[in-house]
Amino acid sequence: MNSSNQKKRNFQIEAFKHKVVVDPKYADKTWKILEHAITEIYNHNASGLSFEELYRNAYNMVLHKFGEKLYSGLVGTMTLHLQEMAKTIEAAQGNLFLEELNRKWNDHNKALQMIRDILMYMDRTFIPSNRKTPVHELGLNLWRDNVIHSSKIQTRLLDTLLELIQKERTGEIINRGLMRNIIKMLMDLGSSVYQEDFEKHFLEVSADFYRAESQDFIECCDCGDYLKKAERRLNEEIERVSLYLDSKSETKITNVVEKEMIASHMLRLVHMDNSGLVNMLIDDKYEDLGRMYNLFRRVPNGLPTIRDVMTSHLRETGKQLVTDAEKLKDPVEFVQCLLNEKDKYDKIINLAFSNDKTFQNALNSSFEYFINLNPRSPEFISLFVDEKLRKGLKGVSEEDVETILDKVMMLFRYLQEKDVFEKYYKQHLAKRLLSGKTVSDDAERSLIVKLKTECGYQFTSKLEGMFTDMKTSQDTMQGFYAAYAAELGDSPTLVVQVLTTGSWPTQPSITCNLPAEMSALCEKFRSYYLGTHTGRRLSWQTNMGTADLKAIFGKGQKHELNVSTYQMCVLMLFNSADRLSYKEIEQATEIPSSDLRRCLQSLACVKGKNVLRKEPMSKDIGEEDAFFVNDKFTSKFYKVKIGTVVAQKESEPEKQETRQRVEEDRKPQIEAAIVRIMKSRRVLDHNNIIAEVTKQLQSRFLANPGEIKKRIESLIERDFLERDSSDRRLYRYLA
Amino acid sequence: MNKLGRGHRDKVHQFMTITGTSEKAAYQALKASDWHLEGAFDAFYSQPQPKSYTDARRLEDLYNRYKDAYADMIMADGITLLCSDILVDHQDIVMLVLSWHMKAATMCEFSKQEFIGGLQSLGVDSIEKLREKIPFMRSELKDDQKFREIYNFAFGWAKEKGQKSLALDTAIGMWQLLFAEKHWPLVDHWCQFLQARHNKAISRDTWSQLLEFAKTVDPQLSNYDVDGAWPYLIDEFVEYLIENGIIQNGQLSDWTQKH
Repeated sequence: MNSSNQKKRNFQIEAFKHKVVVDPKYADKTWKILEHAITEIYNHNASGLSFEELYRNAYNMVLHKFGEKLYSGLVGTMTLHLQEMAKTIEAAQGNLFLEELNRKWNDHNKALQMIRDILMYMDRTFIPSNRKTPVHELGLNLWRDNVIHSSKIQTRLLDTLLELIQKERTGEIINRGLMRNIIKMLMDLGSSVYQEDFEKHFLEVSADFYRAESQDFIECCDCGDYLKKAERRLNEEIERVSLYLDSKSETKITNVVEKEMIASHMLRLVHMDNSGLVNMLIDDKYEDLGRMYNLFRRVPNGLPTIRDVMTSHLRETGKQLVTDAEKLKDPVEFVQCLLNEKDKYDKIINLAFSNDKTFQNALNSSFEYFINLNPRSPEFISLFVDEKLRKGLKGVSEEDVETILDKVMMLFRYLQEKDVFEKYYKQHLAKRLLSGKTVSDDAERSLIVKLKTECGYQFTSKLEGMFTDMKTSQDTMQGFYAAYAAELGDSPTLVVQVLTTGSWPTQPSITCNLPAEMSALCEKFRSYYLGTHTGRRLSWQTNMGTADLKAIFGKGQKHELNVSTYQMCVLMLFNSADRLSYKEIEQATEIPSSDLRRCLQSLACVKGKNVLRKEPMSKDIGEEDAFFVNDKFTSKFYKVKIGTVVAQKESEPEKQETRQRVEEDRKPQIEAAIVRIMKSRRVLDHNNIIAEVTKQLQSRFLANPGEIKKRIESLIERDFLERDSSDRRLYRYLA
Repeated sequence: MNKLGRGHRDKVHQFMTITGTSEKAAYQALKASDWHLEGAFDAFYSQPQPKSYTDARRLEDLYNRYKDAYADMIMADGITLLCSDILVDHQDIVMLVLSWHMKAATMCEFSKQEFIGGLQSLGVDSIEKLREKIPFMRSELKDDQKFREIYNFAFGWAKEKGQKSLALDTAIGMWQLLFAEKHWPLVDHWCQFLQARHNKAISRDTWSQLLEFAKTVDPQLSNYDVDGAWPYLIDEFVEYLIENGIIQNGQLSDWTQKH
């Protein structure tokens, strides 16, 4: 402190000025201290050091502008130590190499930490402002340059690592912990070190390895086994990455495996004899298929390959199915086979292909393709439904009924000629309704609703009309019997179904001669009906009715015979005659001859149902044949069913006829579509009309462009359309 | 006229021959189109015929000459007489052209209105004048536009009254007549095809479209477009030609020599 008689001056607190003599040797001395400390640290002798003193020394150096000396000293010392460490590592023999490397790396990291702490002031001040590499990073770089990239270590390290991995791949156990540490070391040194010094080579070597292995496997394994092996390898690599590699390597190594093991051999695998994709599909090998799906999904074009093979196989088997003459003999069996095939593939796609939509689409398009190869598919599907609704669904739970109907609808959707189906369905439904042979009204209606949802109101309006007629007829019968109760006491019971023409399939029929009892009754009904419905016309469809007759035969056998109307007419004649010739029967009944022959055959020539006897006993009906009641008729059943009007597969001529009618029905539909389109567009060119008409009619049938053209010409004839005067490809709507 | 150069004189003569006009009219037409023959033809045919004066009474007399004894129209006999008067065979295509001018409704008869109206529009009121008009009428067939009109007119004219379509035999006869003027190499195959495969009457659309077909599609069918909105019958004809080897590799083979 100054004495009070000093000159007065501004009171300032001045910065601490240690009048230190800048000893030129000062820096050297300080550096020597630090250098020694670093050596001690590397020699595991750090315990004798004073952190505070060292820190202060380093701090002073930087303060006194000797940062450069400190830094370069650090670089030099550390380098020397690292070079020594490198020598030790190089000297390690065999397996000890990696261990030594690991040990030295740990040592270095510990040392580096301490050194960094000591030199923290420099790290925070001198280094940033002079753009030097920070201490920690510097330490890593020096390690990299002097140890990892030393000529004796670099290659040896890589080779060792790859060798270990190879060993592990061939089933040996390796020290994973050590691997992890070494790899982590490489990662710590920077991603380029990891990639250049390890990953790049790892991937190359792996590619070679898997290329060779896959070649071996494919020569000796079948498809399923090969895929198992491939999957295992893939999982191994993923595990390897998680255990001791950089996670970023996962995609890269899996790509290698995928390419070498799967992509390169994709086609060979899929088409392998006896074990390839087709065999797996045939044998329902869900696990193998699932594995193939999961593996192939990883490679470009993998799934399309599976899909294409599946599609062509499906189309081929489907085509065989629909053209197999044996199967075609039984329509119900045929359709059941189709359903089975669909179920099979649905299951495969569900269990193995994880419900992949593209596979479902392929399935659908294949089915659509082959179902329509057989022009009888619509008829057969209707027959299948008919069988189910007549008896097949008896006793089946409501839920199961719905399932079956939904499956039928699914097949229906594949049909291109839906109008053909409609025609047959109507015929078969009519027979079911009129013979009272439907298992469940609810099931019938449920199917109609499904058809309506699919195709619209127009499709089902007539079908619904048929149901309505049945119901209305019931009510009419009730009214009839109520009104005539007194008079009808003794008469046979009459049940009439009044069918609205237009809703029911048309069949021209000539009314035959009914027995007197019946015709009187029928007339009563007619007058009753027309009394309440003036302006209508009734015509009896004698080719569609049934009758129940109680008969007593020669030995007193009593039976109830369930017959067709025609058969009834024939049988009733025998109430007043013992013997009748064919001609007499024909005259009396006026049944058309082909129907009459069929009728007589069913009454006289079928074992177990021969209520009539024919002379001569031949199978065919001749003009001169004579008929008698078969007094010796026996049957173990009281009720004998002789005449049934059951839907069955059409004969060739019937089929032609139906086809013709369908074609005829299509013409007005095509015309209506053309007119509709032209009315709104006014002017349209030829190709566009064809396209639009086809599109509009698609839900019912596939319109033939030639037919569309003919309809257009017909419409031109009738002045609905005209060609444009300057562009002959253009059509104009004529209002 | 004497001052005309040789080239121009030739042109005048050509023009007169083809159109049947007078020398003066030919000269004027050519001069107006700068002595380009084609241009002169175009101009000539697109303008209405100069309406020359016709005597109504003379037309009346002429009508009465040909009129049928029992009906107020000219029937078969009258037409035969007319043909011999103008020195034209009654099967000659010129009669079709004449009927066209008359806007006759049906072949083999002319109503009074049709007859008189037709002659008036031609500017003739005597047999001689009509005879003079014949070369002109023939020339009209050479004009594309007029030929089309005459061709399409022929359909309505040749078919039975009250029918919508033209009977096949008549159609074939008409086609042979018409395509003799405007040569179409496939006409015989077409007629054979119809007799073999079609055997039904011809609709108006088919009739008119056939001309388009003959004009636009070359006989080798190289530019036949299957999506070309041709009537169905024509598509069938093309199939027929290919099936029977008449058109092979785009060549019209000399089928007639094989059969």
